[in-house]
Amino acid sequence: MTKKETAMTEPRPDVLVVDELVAGYVSGVDIIRGASLSVAPGELVGVIGPNGAGKSTFMKAMFGLAPVRGGSIRLDGEDIVGRAPSDLVARGVAYVPQTNNVFPSMTIEENLRMGLYQQRHRWAERFDAVTAMLPFLAARRRTRAGLLSGGERQMVALGRALMTEPKVLLLDEPSAGLSPINQGDSFERVMQINAQGVTIVMVEQNAQRCLEIVHRGYVLDQGCNAYAGTGRELLGDPKVVELYLGSLSRSSRT
Amino acid sequence: MPDLRNRPGLGVAPLVLGGTTALLMLGWAVGANAPETSVLSEFPQALVDGIKFGLIVATGAIGLSLIFGTTKMINFAHGELITLGAIVAWYFQSIGLPLWLAALVAVVAGAGFGGALELGLWRPLRKRRTGLFQLLIISLGLSLAVRHIYLIVFGGASKAYSAFRVQDSWNFWGVSMTPRDLGIMVTAVLVVSGTAWMIHSTPIGQAMRAVADNRDLAEASGISVKRVILVVWMMGSGLAAVGGVLLGLDGSVSWDMGFAILMVVFAAVILGGLGKSNGALVGALAIGLVSQLSTLFSPPELRIFWALLALMVVLLVRPQGILGSRNATRIG
Repeated sequence: MTKKETAMTEPRPDVLVVDELVAGYVSGVDIIRGASLSVAPGELVGVIGPNGAGKSTFMKAMFGLAPVRGGSIRLDGEDIVGRAPSDLVARGVAYVPQTNNVFPSMTIEENLRMGLYQQRHRWAERFDAVTAMLPFLAARRRTRAGLLSGGERQMVALGRALMTEPKVLLLDEPSAGLSPINQGDSFERVMQINAQGVTIVMVEQNAQRCLEIVHRGYVLDQGCNAYAGTGRELLGDPKVVELYLGSLSRSSRT
Repeated sequence: MPDLRNRPGLGVAPLVLGGTTALLMLGWAVGANAPETSVLSEFPQALVDGIKFGLIVATGAIGLSLIFGTTKMINFAHGELITLGAIVAWYFQSIGLPLWLAALVAVVAGAGFGGALELGLWRPLRKRRTGLFQLLIISLGLSLAVRHIYLIVFGGASKAYSAFRVQDSWNFWGVSMTPRDLGIMVTAVLVVSGTAWMIHSTPIGQAMRAVADNRDLAEASGISVKRVILVVWMMGSGLAAVGGVLLGLDGSVSWDMGFAILMVVFAAVILGGLGKSNGALVGALAIGLVSQLSTLFSPPELRIFWALLALMVVLLVRPQGILGSRNATRIG
């Protein structure tokens, strides 16, 4: 029902449409059991849900890192199920893993170069564009990524993913493992990047903060969509607040 | 921020060059002033021999380290890749090719063999998710099989390259060196520095480091990990072939020469820091110097013992090796 609504309210065709996705690592054990999602160009979409709801697996399945057993994933109308990550990168999907998302022994500049490995001729143009969004990366371009703090590493990870000028950027829990202050910066950064016109799907543990910044959100529970709507709608929905925001919202306000 | 944090890669090249130069100067200073009969008069010669041996070991060690870095696999058949280069070059020079051309053929053959192993054996095994320990045992078996094929084809006797067999040596400041020795050292320096440049500055070299650093992220960045690993196998095997030719030129060619030196190559890789290509060079030079300098005060038969003892001592102090990082050790 929610999918139809969003399709009607969005005049431009969606970049990414995930329909009734079934996915899981071990055959017979489905972690994602019919989850759907759509993203319009320029949108910032968040997926929240309790621990073990399958948020990260959902994202990995979209990027070809988890086996898909049913449903479809369409990028600009073309089904991309079964395609390898390198193929998806070439088609304009970028992905930032939750952990281990930099090349630690390589410099910031080299990390960015690896992000653009398939399109090396665009280096100068893209380096300028990405460092305009994240000036820190230009200032410290010769520093090894392994020497950076968690928040700084995340900028490198975002920069690496943005190098290809992706049609859609998939972020797996950007606030995970960061200190409260860095978490704030992290959400701020995601908003800024989205404001520059980058289409983003993010999966988040910190539901309250996530719903505050996204255009639309999905609540994933036990591998299925439980609720969907704009960020404000979900934050105002007593059921969502009671079931999914209760403890999290309290902890994030302290 | 402190300046050091902003200077990657710096440190290794100056360290190696500076350290070697300082040692050589010390060596000549000691040697020139020591009385003829003292062991110290042999010091400069041992230094030069040590550097030569270290450079030869480095050509094998860098390849082994690259393969480990990108695949996390320990390749016990690396010694046979070294032998292959020596044997192929020996065969082609024996039918009349100039040695440099025979060596070139050997390198191409080595790279081809390495690539064939990756495509025909290691890649299918990885695809079936064979464990690293199983891969290690398979490489041991491969080593044994290939080594004995060499024994059948090449025979059990040692053979020398016909070119440069006997040469007049130059003498300067207590060091005697033949043009052959100089050729070995110059070739090794060129090959090793060319490889270091390639790993550091070319896109494929950067991709190799990326795969070694974080394989999943390399894949997610659009790097074809399969292709990078194939290139690494070909390059590592080609380097091993160079090492084989140089080793054969320094001594003689035999069916088990690579196997005999494998332990030293492993020691160099571990001493320098597993998976770090610069580490392999530093480790190899250290091993070469320790083994040759030990001949000043102990029987030459024990030189490898001293090198391995040095390895143990260093690892007790720095478990990750000279240049290794803690993380790399944990993964390994």
